Amino acid sequence: MIHFERFTLGNGLKVIFHKDETTPLAVVNTLYDVGARDEDAEKTGFAHLFEHLMFGGSVNIPDFDAPLQLAGGESNAFTSNDITNYYDVLPAQNIETALWLESDRMLSLAFTPKSLETQRSVVIEEFRQRYLNQPYGDVWLKLRPLAYHTHPYQWATIGKEISHIEDAKMEDVKAFFARFYNPSNAILCIAGNFELDYVKTVVNKWYGDIPSGIKPARILPAEPEQTEFREQTIESKVPSDAFYYAFKMPERKSADYYIADILSDALGRDKSSRLYIAIQKEQKLVTEIGAYITGSLDNGLLVISGKLSPDVTFEQLDEALWKVLDEVKATAVPQEELDRLKNKIRTAKAFQEQGLLNRAMNLTYFELLGDADGINQEALLYAGITPDHMQKTARSILNKTNCSLLKVKAIQS
Amino acid sequence: MTTRNTAPEIFPLQKINFVVPHTFDITPTVKLYWMQSVPDETTRIELHFDAGTIRGERKIAGFVNALLLSGTKDKTSTQIHEELDSLGAFIDHEIAQEIAIVSLYCLRENVESAVNILLDAIENADFPENEVSDMLREKKQNFLVSSEKVGVLVRRAFQKQLFSNSVNYSRQLELSDLDDVSIAEMKRFHKEFYLQGLRKVVVVGNLAPDYIDRLIDAVGAWSKPGNCEFEGDFVNKPGRIHIDKPGAVQTAIRMGIPLFNKTHVDFLDFQVLQTIFGDYFGSRLMSNIREDKGYTYGIGSGVAESSKAGYFIIATEVGKAVTEETLKEIRHEMDVLKNEAVPQEELDLVKNYLLGQILKSADGPNAMMDLYMAAQLHGKDFGYYNEAISHIQQIDQERIMELAKKYLNWENFSIVTAGEKE
Repeated sequence: MIHFERFTLGNGLKVIFHKDETTPLAVVNTLYDVGARDEDAEKTGFAHLFEHLMFGGSVNIPDFDAPLQLAGGESNAFTSNDITNYYDVLPAQNIETALWLESDRMLSLAFTPKSLETQRSVVIEEFRQRYLNQPYGDVWLKLRPLAYHTHPYQWATIGKEISHIEDAKMEDVKAFFARFYNPSNAILCIAGNFELDYVKTVVNKWYGDIPSGIKPARILPAEPEQTEFREQTIESKVPSDAFYYAFKMPERKSADYYIADILSDALGRDKSSRLYIAIQKEQKLVTEIGAYITGSLDNGLLVISGKLSPDVTFEQLDEALWKVLDEVKATAVPQEELDRLKNKIRTAKAFQEQGLLNRAMNLTYFELLGDADGINQEALLYAGITPDHMQKTARSILNKTNCSLLKVKAIQS
Repeated sequence: MTTRNTAPEIFPLQKINFVVPHTFDITPTVKLYWMQSVPDETTRIELHFDAGTIRGERKIAGFVNALLLSGTKDKTSTQIHEELDSLGAFIDHEIAQEIAIVSLYCLRENVESAVNILLDAIENADFPENEVSDMLREKKQNFLVSSEKVGVLVRRAFQKQLFSNSVNYSRQLELSDLDDVSIAEMKRFHKEFYLQGLRKVVVVGNLAPDYIDRLIDAVGAWSKPGNCEFEGDFVNKPGRIHIDKPGAVQTAIRMGIPLFNKTHVDFLDFQVLQTIFGDYFGSRLMSNIREDKGYTYGIGSGVAESSKAGYFIIATEVGKAVTEETLKEIRHEMDVLKNEAVPQEELDLVKNYLLGQILKSADGPNAMMDLYMAAQLHGKDFGYYNEAISHIQQIDQERIMELAKKYLNWENFSIVTAGEKE
């Protein structure tokens, strides 16, 4: 059970406070309800580029990191297709330093043209390092547009292409800030050994006078239901053929989300999973195989991916793979197998909740979903899943007409 | 009105409350360390074996490590994994030059059953032929994939340059190692370095004391007799080499020198110097090469320690067109530290940052145990970190410059680049 208190400032900023008496550290976690899905299709990669710029100085403070480091702390951030999340970890007695820095950059940014130029280069190098200069690194740049035709999940957070980042203008960046970086579009979580009254006082002190702004309406083009099997083959200078089967799955707030999550575990999380045993261990068609979900807020993907063994064809793999999927659809997963998967989830959750930063991030994220207490409900949702649920969800998701297949064909370099 | 243009007051680090783990002698040289004070249901158990990559002939330590849970006379690999998964247990086996560690993560209620399965699997590991061939096939594939990464190519070549006088420490996996593996040789290795190679046991979990006694009884027979032998006094090959990787859009750079570990008198002060130079987000290398020039997504330095030595490295991946400029700037930053005093403001910032890092690395029972073990490896205890805190508080600009002059000498560095030739 993770305890928390919740209050809202006059300007609409939602605040979660999580008390932990055992730690000398404090966490200040700020989630802005904006991600790559909120970008213009012609200006992609923006939410992420913007995250970089948030460290380039704010209206009253020329440099974000140095004062935090001077206070013994450190900071980082990440952008996903759904959200942008910033966090600071520092000795608890210096928490006001983090609040001062975070509130100032929520109030107004003041980065320079030089800062924009530098971060543009840094992000381009990130694009190269992560997506272009790694074997199979570009797969998600290809798989997303195959699986999504209208929803903005069709591009990755880094952007569709480098040119979008190259072309980013100062006025675009400023407009992005004005639209999304407001108290009304943010959730703050404070974690550490404090009293609630103190937290209310200091949060009000630093954030209370920031103008509320208007929470931007989110009207995204809905992805129409997929009705046909999609397939694309790309050639790449990689050592072996690889495959990515992507199935549409329910949105994050759906109860079926959790079922799809366990279903992916049953298929390919561990060495006792079905695909691993049948296709890797017994038939030796692959040298690696796994299944996982993207965890998206809107309709996400359940992905099965792996690499073919030498001299095995995509057709051989395809036949064996569908056999495993058809079995999960035809016969309910035995209770014993389901219990095994749930036990692993319980262990994983217990370890994840050990970290103060993890707890703070998860509370913030569940508050975005509608209620921070969701973090405490999750275990029950998993526990309530039955073999029947699994079979139903398997039948609705694991269908050819719901599948986008990306094949990477290895060619000699 | 809140005053936003002046920073809030900063309060200094308070005393860190170190929690010392209980220590049990399994033998005079093999110990079990137990952190009992855990406020939740999690349990972590680690078995440390003298079975690192420097042991044995050729490159078989990694194969044996990978096959530890691959089956016994009575159970297949799948049975072992199903049993462990049923208990919600996670197993990690990792290998480094001087150590192989098997870790178990599970909930308290399942520890005893999970440990029994794990110990049985390790004790009776039988290296079945089909498992060996699966492992080799998977390793070969992984090797080929990782050989496409400039970051991996540069690391392999760098290890050879850095440990140039040691066959065992410079040894890298080659594709040919995967073609000729003898099961008998693996069995011999398993017997010598696992079943008689246990160096220590680490337990973090709120378990019953009598269980710790039973655990000691269960693994005691694996204890390594006598001390482990390790090499030190490494000699590197200074100068530059390049590994060609046609088509790479970035070049990986890795450079370094042999150095020392916590037992050396300069170690703590060098940590301050190298943090300023390259080991935090505001470091000289990051400020110049990322934040000013935009050549890279990241650049950093660090000190790696081994039993009898250590080394200092600098690593980055940069746009291929700016490789030479990056090297020039790294050299420039070394020269600046040798010739100009670090501004007091920057030194104070780094001191506070490092003190905050120590506080962070002592947060929670698992972090506390890791911190203790990092000191214990070099014969020290938590007193070492108190010593570190006072060193950090006292170090001055002169000492930083003195150490920069002593250690940051470009001509001593092994420099390796991997990427497309210009």
